[in-house]
Amino acid sequence: MTFVVGENCIQCKDTACVEVCPVDCFYEGPNFLVINPDECIDCEDCVPVCPEEAIYSEDDLPAEQAIFLDLNAELADMWPNITEKKDPLPDAKKWSGVDGKLKHLQR
Amino acid sequence: MAKQEKFQPSEKAQAFLASVQKGKYKREIITGLGKFLDKKVPQEMQGFYSQSELQMLVDLRGTNQDVEARMPVKITRHYFDLAKTSAAIQTLVKASPKETYDLEGAPDPGKQMDYSPVEGLIHKYELGLIYVASTCSAHCRFCYREELIAKKDVARPDGTIAPKGLAQIPDIVDYIVRHNKAVAANGGWHPDTGREKLREILMSGGDPMVLGNNNIAEWWSALADAGIESIRLGTKELAFYPDRFDETFFDMVDKFHEAYPSTQIRLMVHFNHPDEFLAKDADGNYIDDPDGGLEWVPATKRSIRELGKREWISIDNQAPIIKGINGDPDALRIMQRELRRNRVENHYFFCGRDIIGHRAFNLPIEEVWNILNESQKGLSGVESHARLSITHYLGKTEVAAVTNEPLAGIPGTENGFVVLKLLRGAADAPDRGKVAIVGRNPDAIWFSGYDDRVIYDEAGLFSHLNEQQEEKPMLQQA
Repeated sequence: MTFVVGENCIQCKDTACVEVCPVDCFYEGPNFLVINPDECIDCEDCVPVCPEEAIYSEDDLPAEQAIFLDLNAELADMWPNITEKKDPLPDAKKWSGVDGKLKHLQR
Repeated sequence: MAKQEKFQPSEKAQAFLASVQKGKYKREIITGLGKFLDKKVPQEMQGFYSQSELQMLVDLRGTNQDVEARMPVKITRHYFDLAKTSAAIQTLVKASPKETYDLEGAPDPGKQMDYSPVEGLIHKYELGLIYVASTCSAHCRFCYREELIAKKDVARPDGTIAPKGLAQIPDIVDYIVRHNKAVAANGGWHPDTGREKLREILMSGGDPMVLGNNNIAEWWSALADAGIESIRLGTKELAFYPDRFDETFFDMVDKFHEAYPSTQIRLMVHFNHPDEFLAKDADGNYIDDPDGGLEWVPATKRSIRELGKREWISIDNQAPIIKGINGDPDALRIMQRELRRNRVENHYFFCGRDIIGHRAFNLPIEEVWNILNESQKGLSGVESHARLSITHYLGKTEVAAVTNEPLAGIPGTENGFVVLKLLRGAADAPDRGKVAIVGRNPDAIWFSGYDDRVIYDEAGLFSHLNEQQEEKPMLQQA
């Protein structure tokens, strides 16, 4: 099992998760973070700290976000590892909770 | 828990850390009963819990007997493969309604929080224990760190209540440096606590081996730079996922040794039962190794071999003796022999702690002593180094002897007696070697089972009883 970063992270990228992850398994793209499923150890520490409530257990991933399971695995292989917290994206507040952000995902 | 300002490693540590590679792991972990209920586990694992077993556990959800709330269910693929042919391993890792039938016991009989000066650190003896991870690759049902793993609230001596936090490098380094400075300035003893120099840190959790190589490397270099001579790492990963000890790990380990050649690594491993590392034939029997001894599970053997090649790493096994898992002299005899043959020292066996929700796992102290003693019959001296320990809040105590014969003329010993020996005081060293003698109580699972039959107490293990008696006249005066 793994935890999965879902759609709410797109255009936000708060990175509180990165700070608490004991295994540094977050990877960073231009406007989204992903979890490497091979490295995640299911500790759940990232879930409560995410202000966007964007992180789900694989089991609890909403059906309409099912694609994010594969997306996390795929992008974790491409993107660089992020291990230190940084500021959220400047327009994070504006994008918070907006539906249908997947089309804005930049690779 | 938010990390504080970023720790600044030394130049030497930075050079070492820059060389560390990340590994790739396929633990294939299953977490939660839900996956079994919804049949989302691989086909082969679906019968691991029967429908009726699942139903009994589901019926407890939300009640005070909720087994999953006590300890989340978690298993790796490797451990599942071992469990298929082992009743002992199934008991170790499968949730059971029995766990919460009897909720007697104390929240913290070892009074651990009394010894926690900094979040995530337990400072006893010359040794500090740090919590560096809040999970393991799989979960032992009998785990006594359930408050950390299941993220429960813990009461502290100052009355505050919060989940246990993990240790952070800057806090721990700061504490070690300050403590050791005060000790050095005071002729070898801390002026307030009387403790000696912190020479050794035990990384625990959870299991530190769930952390990435880079995290482990950060801790090791920071601790070595702070003056720690020996770093212990407590892990069950050799049982749960031996492939964690891969090339990238040993590359890190070797580079650490190049950078810090005088720092010892002491691996404290945790095997409860030989089924966790021995190969079996189609009939479920262990297989003779033509080169001597018994054949091991290949991945575990490879990892142990690689660890054993490095003379600056010591490997010690310590494990509790648990009802339904390893209360079996024959299994323990094989385990001690095979471990020692493969460079693993047999360090301690433990009596289970009398913690809430542990009665399903606890065997009586005297029975455990007998099991271990029987297991060591037929072992050579070097194979039988392990002692039976029970953790009194005053310090680590050995159950040294249990007799069947009375001591002539001494009341309370009609059924024999038990000799308890303090291996070391939790606060300081002077009480080492002192003993207590109590009359036998075959049902006792904790020190309190002997409160009414203390015969001799040089070690002060039962001194709290005297304190209560002495308080009485003062209350009467008031």
